[in-house]
Amino acid sequence: MSRPSFLNNMADFLTSTHRAKWIFSPQDLKEKYKAANQRARQTLEKYGATRMEVDVDGSLSYPEPQTDAKDNVEKHSRPKPLKTEEEQLLRAFYEFKIQDVCDAFKFPRKIQATALIYFKRFYLQWSVMEHHPKHIMLTCIYAACKAEENHVSAEELGKGIEQDHQMILNNEIIVFQSLGFDLIVYAPYRTLDGLVNDLEDSLQAKDEQLQMLRDMNETAKIEADKIMLTDAPLLFPPGQLALAALRKSNEVHGVLDLERYLESLLSRQHSTHTISELTVSLNAIDSLVSKHETPTATDMKHIDRKLKSCRDPSSHEKSKKRKHRSKETSNPLQA
Amino acid sequence: MALAAFGQLNADDIPSWGSRSVDCFEKLEQIGEGTYGQVYMAREIKTGEIVALKKIRMDNEKEGFPITAIREIKILKKLDHENIIKLKEIVTSQGPEVDEQGKPDSKYNGNIYMVFEYMDHDLTGLADRPGLRFTIPQIKCYMKQLLTGLHYCHVNQVLHRDIKGSNLLIDNEGTLKLADFGLARSFSGDHNANLTNRVITLWYRPPELLLGATKYGPAVDMWSVGCIFAELLHGKPILPGKNEPEQLNKIFELCGSPNEINWPGVSKIPWYNKFKPARQMNKHLREVFRNFDRHALDLLEKMLILDPSQRISAKDALDAEYFWTDPLPCDPKSLPKYESSHEFQTKKKRQQQRQNEEIAKRQKLQHPQQHARLPPIQQTGQAHPQHWTGLNHPVSNYQPPASAGPSHHHYGKPRGPPGGPNRYPPSGNPSGGYYPDRGGQGGGYTSGSYPPQGRAPPYSGSSVPASGPRGAVSGYGVAPANYSQGGQYAGSGAGRGPNPMGGNRSQQYGWQQ
Repeated sequence: MSRPSFLNNMADFLTSTHRAKWIFSPQDLKEKYKAANQRARQTLEKYGATRMEVDVDGSLSYPEPQTDAKDNVEKHSRPKPLKTEEEQLLRAFYEFKIQDVCDAFKFPRKIQATALIYFKRFYLQWSVMEHHPKHIMLTCIYAACKAEENHVSAEELGKGIEQDHQMILNNEIIVFQSLGFDLIVYAPYRTLDGLVNDLEDSLQAKDEQLQMLRDMNETAKIEADKIMLTDAPLLFPPGQLALAALRKSNEVHGVLDLERYLESLLSRQHSTHTISELTVSLNAIDSLVSKHETPTATDMKHIDRKLKSCRDPSSHEKSKKRKHRSKETSNPLQA
Repeated sequence: MALAAFGQLNADDIPSWGSRSVDCFEKLEQIGEGTYGQVYMAREIKTGEIVALKKIRMDNEKEGFPITAIREIKILKKLDHENIIKLKEIVTSQGPEVDEQGKPDSKYNGNIYMVFEYMDHDLTGLADRPGLRFTIPQIKCYMKQLLTGLHYCHVNQVLHRDIKGSNLLIDNEGTLKLADFGLARSFSGDHNANLTNRVITLWYRPPELLLGATKYGPAVDMWSVGCIFAELLHGKPILPGKNEPEQLNKIFELCGSPNEINWPGVSKIPWYNKFKPARQMNKHLREVFRNFDRHALDLLEKMLILDPSQRISAKDALDAEYFWTDPLPCDPKSLPKYESSHEFQTKKKRQQQRQNEEIAKRQKLQHPQQHARLPPIQQTGQAHPQHWTGLNHPVSNYQPPASAGPSHHHYGKPRGPPGGPNRYPPSGNPSGGYYPDRGGQGGGYTSGSYPPQGRAPPYSGSSVPASGPRGAVSGYGVAPANYSQGGQYAGSGAGRGPNPMGGNRSQQYGWQQ
């Protein structure tokens, strides 16, 4: 083959909805997160709660206004909405969970990545205050399994993590709609394999060198897993994510002169990008990874309480009362 | 009232995210019906553009949104070609109707619709029109477009898996488009994944699937193309089997029976021994179709090769002499414009009326015509369809199994028996058609709507398929894994006509998934 296969993958990506509609600037992302947060705040003000009912056909409704909402406001302080930073932490927490759940089910990386990308895209339109990330997380995993032809029944998935599977089905359409039915997404893993294959060929690697390249690939995949937890998949094309992961991995293994390889790659691709432009992107991805933090359980406790109270103040009150009897956290949407 | 239906959340017509409401369209009439859901002709209110709306039914799905719809959406969004039906968008209905208490009155009132460009006809419908005969340049033109579209699918690693006349839509510009990707699948180049063999409408299903192969590739679609090609030239379906064993037998009668010499490896296909005929059968293709012109026959023979690995590819078929010798394929735009074939409802009514007339007529005539369809206009004089000599084809063979009802269209999955609607009633009398103007007995074929005959302008060079649509040789993200269609999602597949025997087939023949 004269043309490495991952370049064809790239060609496929070039005509994809992923490239056309789902790669943003950092400013875009900021505005989208802010807008979703703003809308949830308004809902809270108007209805006294932010939780949206989702029907199985994707139709939505706001909660019935609390008849005693006004009284509540007077008696207690109005529930406080989450800040965008808190929303971000919450999303980060559940994105981490997605990898967890997928690992538990031994799903391939591709499913995990697809679910993560679905999840990220979903919350470009919605606030976690409107749709609970736990539900969306599971629904995204379910949807990813379907879209990637790796079928798991909703019931099986629900059982595996002790959640009501009807909730998954109820949220499926709203998830698909929010994704604009753009179901084909590109993760860095396939490109990574392609890059390493290409390296094997071009170095005519044998034995020891071959093993080193494979180790480098494994490390790079773990790096890519980290990248997938950041905003990077919404900001950069999958090929750059893969290169960033490979570069990181090469720092550990020191197998190759990456700069030279990138140059040859760019020239083969007839790319208009220069090495320095590419380096800027790869550095930006690196820095997203190093800045990314997965929230701790303590962080979560506080945010989760806040989330509950603004999604559904009345159930929060109830659950407060119940707390003496049961340690279980209440799940207002589980019914 | 705190209830906000989905559509109302988007004040704008085009939301920045998600999907528009079906209320952006005005439904004009139903043009198709299948187990998948109804198909409507509709007008976009803002632009006046006519579209086809295909409803995705959700209410029988235990597993939520049907996997077949997911596949179709994924594939159609990936494909962008003149000869592939265009999925314009996906819209949703307004959400549940709300009763006085503001409570949704049903869980499943909302619906999802796929919005397609509107096409006036399908190939089967056109071919079945009374008084209509395709010219050779016209057949070449359709075949060329079919192969061009299919080549594009195959290059993009998509198998259509339900190529048949009713899934080939034709607009009044003469453009042919592949439609209904409800059974389509991505495949990886190495053919390693196990795929279901329960695909493709029986009459168009290749021998390898009938023999139970679960590893297969683009060649399955090419067999179907061969069947359609011969059907266009012959004037009627060439392999109208009633069930799998009969289908295989018809194939063997025409193409010879397989053995390790003409099809190396055939004995390893699961049900080879079960269906192997007692004695070797010879190929009769050239005798049966001896009235075809030489180049047509050469090409057909390469398409209807038993061994899928020897079968011609779409790309090579496009290079065949047939398309480059006189009469050349005509320019699609030069084709005649036919009255639209979508009067689904009025057609049903008129059909009833017509049937009554037919019965009366038949009683008078007592010798019904054998063929509903005429072969194409030949360049050299006239040829009547050669009857299949040497082969036993009782007229009754042309009766398809009990029809699941009218569903001649095409966006949807009118999941009926092979061949769909009652194209070939027992008598061969065209009384069951959907076209109100169908002219009773075969006598009416001179009614003047023949397409222009003779040398059409040569096919313009620009339509020659460039060999490489966006190549994607290694199938990014489409690894089919070992998913088998008979699994959890079988619910959505069951009863979908491409498996004409319906759900009981596997029991009947012990066929696995």
